Amino acid sequence: MDQAAIHATGLHKSFGETHAVRGVDLSVPRGEVFGFLGPNGAGKSTVVKIILGLVKAGAGDVTVLGHPAGSLAARRQIGFLPETFRFHQWMHASEFLDFHGRLAGLDRDARGRRVPEMLELVGLAQRRRDRLSTFSKGMLQRIGLAQALLAEPPLVVLDEPTSALDPIGRRDVRDIIRALRAAGTTVFLNSHLLSEVEQVCDQVAIINRGRVVAAGDLRQLLAAREVELRLGEGADAALRAAGLQPLAAQPDDCRYTLTASSDEEIARITAHIAGAGVSIYEVQVRSNSLEDLFVRLADSTDQ
Amino acid sequence: MSLWVIAEHTLREAVRRRVVLAAAVVIGGFLALYGVGVWFGYRDIATDPDLTMSMRRVIVGFMLQGGMWSLNFVASLLAIFLAVGSISGEIDQGTMHAVAARPVRRCYIVLGKFLGNLLLLTVFIGVSTAVMIAIVAIITGQYAERAWTAPFAMLFAAAILLAVTIAGSTRLGTLANGVVVFTLYAVALVGGVIEQIGNFLDNPVTFDIGIATSVLLPTRALWDLAGTQLAQQSASTTGMTGGPFSSLNPPSGWMLLVAAVYLALALAYAVRAFQRRDI
Repeated sequence: MDQAAIHATGLHKSFGETHAVRGVDLSVPRGEVFGFLGPNGAGKSTVVKIILGLVKAGAGDVTVLGHPAGSLAARRQIGFLPETFRFHQWMHASEFLDFHGRLAGLDRDARGRRVPEMLELVGLAQRRRDRLSTFSKGMLQRIGLAQALLAEPPLVVLDEPTSALDPIGRRDVRDIIRALRAAGTTVFLNSHLLSEVEQVCDQVAIINRGRVVAAGDLRQLLAAREVELRLGEGADAALRAAGLQPLAAQPDDCRYTLTASSDEEIARITAHIAGAGVSIYEVQVRSNSLEDLFVRLADSTDQ
Repeated sequence: MSLWVIAEHTLREAVRRRVVLAAAVVIGGFLALYGVGVWFGYRDIATDPDLTMSMRRVIVGFMLQGGMWSLNFVASLLAIFLAVGSISGEIDQGTMHAVAARPVRRCYIVLGKFLGNLLLLTVFIGVSTAVMIAIVAIITGQYAERAWTAPFAMLFAAAILLAVTIAGSTRLGTLANGVVVFTLYAVALVGGVIEQIGNFLDNPVTFDIGIATSVLLPTRALWDLAGTQLAQQSASTTGMTGGPFSSLNPPSGWMLLVAAVYLALALAYAVRAFQRRDI
């Protein structure tokens, strides 16, 4: 059995002269929360639409739980909350969910059970008879989330699921995502809100200019730290002798910035420098936040 | 299953967005006015000593034809308006994304929209024409024997317009699609008049130009079929005419075949184009 919930290799997509996606490879493990990040225009939405079968890839392959993306079998496995969360506004909340339940292939009994459950989950049970045209943006996003989760799909694709929500709503959605993970559901989360991704995601991929520029376990990606040192005479020679290449150096101020993947590596670096007889006046260790990583990768691939 | 879900959704949307109510109110008002017109018109006809019984019957046939032409025109506009943004409008608004991501074949989305709107047009044409035929029959005591077949020809024409409009909607934005389909419809309408003039003048070139416009969009040819079922069969022998939109010459069997193929091709194109389209 294919272990990946989503497996993409060599995805390409162009719209006229614009190359939106240029060779994206992705592997989303089953049962995890996967964050898909990137600046505006990076190609995120196009990749999401290819996974859903809304857009056909120019080249490359994507499978969803072992089925070709876009096939009926693949679409049966997915619940999708669109970024725009625009739905048929003339429908009532429960009627809207019932319609999507029918499209998803739920029988009458299942719809009768799941529709009230989902309305309750997203806090809209009191508004079940109201038209969507009377809903605020946040409520539309909530009903969109209910629609995505309605058929209990093994893969949920959430495109900016909290963009219109207040802080309480965001916390509720984070709780829902955690509950989905606990139930074994794979969540593919496309979001600009890095703090949110940091809080709920196990794995991330960062895309820029149509290419994946970093991917992997979020904790490992964030484990890399920057070590800023203020050193005494002979620092240049000592660093060269130890084979250490500074990320940034200001030799006039004797300030050097290095990267280290763990506390042990930081201890080894300082031991090398001290062992070479160079004075260490200051050591500052900075952890990478996801925002730092995101900005650095976006900047470096833009150049 | 999914086909019917989409069709039912399309029907519900038309009802909920008050399309049905608006059409019912307008057509109800029109039928009331029409009934008053027929009442007074027939009173004069019936008491005019210069008109023979045969001529009275022909005039009543033209009154029915004129009224039905109006209903046919409204049904055509309704078909265009219902379908003009059915695909591209939903993509532009973003409502298509959640639907097309469901396990529903795209051909069912297209055909479901066609079916839902066709059911609506069936009710519209069925009810309005039945009321109109009844109004004329009650007031004048006359009933063209084959009048009941006319609504089927009108529905056929509306189905073609619906299919063409949905096909256009898979490629064009709402406004551009409306302009293209309505222009086609107008050309076919005027082409029918040109065909009549060519027939009247016995000019083959003019006649062929008229035929060509019917091939471009065979709605006028189908109206000719409906019209001939409504007019009295004796009309052509009296030399009387009901005006440029009246019809006394039914289209050939070939033209009906062209219309059927046209409908099938328009639907096939709509399905194919939507299947290939990125959303």
